[in-house]
Amino acid sequence: MSENKSDIIIIGGGVAGLSTAMQLAKRGASVTVLEREQIGNGSTGRAAGLLGQLRGTAEHTRMLMDGVEIVKELEAQANVEIYVQTGSVRVAETPERAQELTDLIEMGRSINFDINEIPIDELAERMPYMRTDDLTTACWCPTDGHLQPAELASAYHKVGRDHGVRYETNCPVTGVLLDGKKAHGVQTPKGEFHAPILVNAAGPWSHLVAGLTNTTLPTAALGHVYLTTQPHPDHPVDRLSPGFRNRHHRIYGRPENGGLLVGMYGEDCPEFDMNKLPPDFDMSAMKARRDDLHLAMLIHAAQQRFPWLNERTPMHVTTGIMTFTPDGLPFCGQLPDHEGLFYCTGFSGHGIVQSPAIGVIMSELILDGQSSYDIASIEADRYWEVPGFQDRAEIQQRCYKMQGSYYGRVEGKTAGTQTDAKEASA
Amino acid sequence: MKMLVPCKRVPDPDQKLRLNAEAVGIDSNALTYILNPFDAIAVEEALHIRETAHPDAEVIAVSIAPAEGEADLRTALAMGADRALLIEHNGPTDPWNVARLLAAVIEHEQPTLVLMGKQAVDDDANQTGQFLAAQLGWPQATFASQIEFIDDGLRVHRETDLGIEVIRTTLPAIVTADLRLNEPRYASLPSILRAKKKSIEQTTPAELGVQLEPRVRLIGMELINSQRHCEKVETASNLLAKLRETEVVE
Repeated sequence: MSENKSDIIIIGGGVAGLSTAMQLAKRGASVTVLEREQIGNGSTGRAAGLLGQLRGTAEHTRMLMDGVEIVKELEAQANVEIYVQTGSVRVAETPERAQELTDLIEMGRSINFDINEIPIDELAERMPYMRTDDLTTACWCPTDGHLQPAELASAYHKVGRDHGVRYETNCPVTGVLLDGKKAHGVQTPKGEFHAPILVNAAGPWSHLVAGLTNTTLPTAALGHVYLTTQPHPDHPVDRLSPGFRNRHHRIYGRPENGGLLVGMYGEDCPEFDMNKLPPDFDMSAMKARRDDLHLAMLIHAAQQRFPWLNERTPMHVTTGIMTFTPDGLPFCGQLPDHEGLFYCTGFSGHGIVQSPAIGVIMSELILDGQSSYDIASIEADRYWEVPGFQDRAEIQQRCYKMQGSYYGRVEGKTAGTQTDAKEASA
Repeated sequence: MKMLVPCKRVPDPDQKLRLNAEAVGIDSNALTYILNPFDAIAVEEALHIRETAHPDAEVIAVSIAPAEGEADLRTALAMGADRALLIEHNGPTDPWNVARLLAAVIEHEQPTLVLMGKQAVDDDANQTGQFLAAQLGWPQATFASQIEFIDDGLRVHRETDLGIEVIRTTLPAIVTADLRLNEPRYASLPSILRAKKKSIEQTTPAELGVQLEPRVRLIGMELINSQRHCEKVETASNLLAKLRETEVVE
């Protein structure tokens, strides 16, 4: 069994696990990544990869800005284009949303992040395919863009392999080997794998992996859908057109192959019981029905901003599963119940863009016992023993609510909801 | 004018399939079903005809399925079909008997045009449309990639192995849809909500006066192993040796 021995086992071959494995290996650790299916074929393979560096706090923004530098290095090492710097816009059509943008600009400037208000007519020139006549305010972040998820995952994989990371695919973890409170390996259909450190980076499955040690992890598996139009003859979308966020309609998007990608954090979303999915469930095979309610709500919301887009527009629909936490922030670090068991999960729809810095943070936590970042807001134990976070139904409900309020309270007309749709169909 | 669109409920072919314990069918546990994609194309074409040429036309979706098959008829309604009929049937069917059931519905509904998928993606039989035309004595245009109304009939482009064949047919007729006929729409939100309120008409083979006479018996199924084994070879002669080993090259 000596061949199945390493310093660290990473459970999950998505961007979180791959980035962590790569950073650990770069620092000389022997790392084994165990992936239940294929590398990058879970949430990673379904992601849109939008990079909006300005987040709620200065520290999160710093993580994302540093992440861009890591990605630029990766691009050189793996010889692929990952980061597409298109710039991004946020648009507002109500006084409340306009105030949010004003606050955001102020906050960005306070940490030297490049953000400016952009005149609406200039916005209309940059994005001729977008309705702008109802907008009052817009802001422009020239250094934003998106990361190409597949290229990012394969770059982590390649650079990790060059540094000796071992990857085992079709290798689901079925048990955790414990010596008292101390983890020392895992069981899989391919036999036991041994390491004094385990990292649970299993995305939507991570609460099930946590369950193997009777640990309650407050994450929920929630469905998400986005559409990508085929290039429209009258509304071409240049590959360097800005990414956008329109909180009032709960939509985000970016250019993709001459078409437009649009997704939504709707008021509600499908919930998944990962336990009930087949053991060999393949997320890449998920598809939306022709009468998928959430897709219809997305199209309805997208149409408010892009009036040429409707249910008959030739489009590709991507559905997948995200791992949400009750506050929309990931879990990174250890929990008090076991030693040697780290968590790196719960990215709530932002795993791609967070993964570069998260890999650094995880490697620091594991090898140094502390991180050079202030990780208070993403520490894994922040809900430990907090009332209401021990029961799965309660956790599910709190995470679900978080997803629904991801773009904040929508005042007045509630875009992207069934109520809105009922009005539209009346 | 009435257009009838048979809609088959099929397991989503992109998911990983397992056989049932007796290996005479697919394990239905945790299986996801969809409206047969070729039938969705037929629904779209019927809606397109109603929207562009025959605004007074009625589009009727019909399915032969267990009670759960209502979900797929609901899809057709949400896309825009006017009515939906479920012929409730549990257990296996075969193209001949499906055609007989559809013929009974057609006798009752008297549609001018039957638009259906060229085949279902579960058994890929590609027989039902042809059997139905034969049973009714109607003309058929299979593998349609373009349909035009002309005079009292249709001009249909058929996709064949030799190229596009253009034929004319009188009505009523059976037309089976090929992949390139159109790109089916997704249902709009108002349309989904309206479809939820519509009732689905119900009948049974017995009510239609059809005694099923199975002509196909499924003896067994086996899964094709699609696991690929990759191995890196260093030189061309090593590659040749490998190919000889597997008897690809003599």
